[in-house]
Amino acid sequence: MIDCEVNVAKSCTELTQILIEPSARILAGGTDILPGMRKNSIIKPITLIDVSQLNELSYICEHEGQIDIGALTTHSKLITSPLLLQHAPALIDACASIGSTQTRNRGTLGGNLCNASPAADSVPPLLCLEAVVTLSSHDNQRQVPLSDFIIGPGQTCLQQGEYLSHISFAVPQKHTGTSFMKLGRRNGMSIAVVSTSVLICIDQNGNIEYARVAFGSVAPTPILSHHAETALTGKTPSAQLFSEAAQTMLTDINPIDDLRASREYRLHSAGVLLQRALQTACHQAEMDMR
Amino acid sequence: MNKLTVHFTLNQQSIRLETLAARSLLDVLREDFALTGAKDSCGGDGECGACTVLLDGEAVNACMVLISQVEGRHVLTIEGLTPDGSLHPIQNAYVQAGAIQCGYCTPGMVMATKALLDHTPQPDETQIREALAGNLCRCTGYTKIVQAVQFAAAELHHDN
Repeated sequence: MIDCEVNVAKSCTELTQILIEPSARILAGGTDILPGMRKNSIIKPITLIDVSQLNELSYICEHEGQIDIGALTTHSKLITSPLLLQHAPALIDACASIGSTQTRNRGTLGGNLCNASPAADSVPPLLCLEAVVTLSSHDNQRQVPLSDFIIGPGQTCLQQGEYLSHISFAVPQKHTGTSFMKLGRRNGMSIAVVSTSVLICIDQNGNIEYARVAFGSVAPTPILSHHAETALTGKTPSAQLFSEAAQTMLTDINPIDDLRASREYRLHSAGVLLQRALQTACHQAEMDMR
Repeated sequence: MNKLTVHFTLNQQSIRLETLAARSLLDVLREDFALTGAKDSCGGDGECGACTVLLDGEAVNACMVLISQVEGRHVLTIEGLTPDGSLHPIQNAYVQAGAIQCGYCTPGMVMATKALLDHTPQPDETQIREALAGNLCRCTGYTKIVQAVQFAAAELHHDN
């Protein structure tokens, strides 16, 4: 058994009251925090706040060109959403690559973001979509770009008493393609050695109007590669261009050696993965033009 | 450690249970209800799937669910697959395919199979392998397990 108190939040108001307790941590899907507490005692909250009854934080909706996803939406719910299939297929591919069916049935999008793993699969596609997270507390609500939300391995800018309530992004414009690619030690159930996500918007002349390029597992946090984006913008898609972008990208990433792979291997495979992701996203954007 | 009272449905029976709040659903099933079909194999990491049960019809690892989280929900374990304890067509299919050897992973495999076939009655092999990716077997081998799911799908389809 886990050595802690469990408080059940019956409403978001009650949640903000319990969150004032300094040692409290939110228990959402529990797929990261429970093994973490059992195994190496890295995570030591004294009070867990069970939010499983807050159904109002589980939704996917579109309103005036913006998509909002409630923090407690499970990965299984995300990957079967027709709305996301239409507008954010890369996010679906990313969430589908998380753990097993059992894990996806419990794990939540908000949990994946708040856990702030450098390898968090949902983050690269959301960075490409320029997602914004809404943080709520008992007397305040603020919006933070996802790129500023995760500040280090396992660290977010959440302050005492705040919780992440939803994730928002604008519906991508026409002629946009997105992709997500992940390299793991095996096909299923693995943590990313490197992951990448790309969003490409093609103009009427077939050139890249703008590009977003994000990576996971190659820096202390998932990151955008602004150098690769600049290298792609305004250019005509080609294998040569993608190869150049993959070279430029190396100035933005700084992977480490760990139990899953070496730094050198990550540097190499990030480039290979990016070129494939760019091809897929461009192809999709071109299909979107017809 | 605090106590709480939880209300839920376990294998079609209404339950009211007062217990320590930080216990896992798996511990409660095995220790309080003697439902030992769901097993602990990986130590609560969510790696092995041997403790798979259905929560509101979806496959979950019972080791990763705290008892407070089942309030108001429906839990189905392998013991509740049929009302009279006879073998369910999925269990028969595992026997028929020879997909059981030591049996340790079998209850989890069967419950993950049930969740799959409830949602996708005619899965292809890729769908079967994806649905069972979170269930590890270390002796029978997956070929016969995939076959068992195919037998079960055919049998259940035939019954309908």
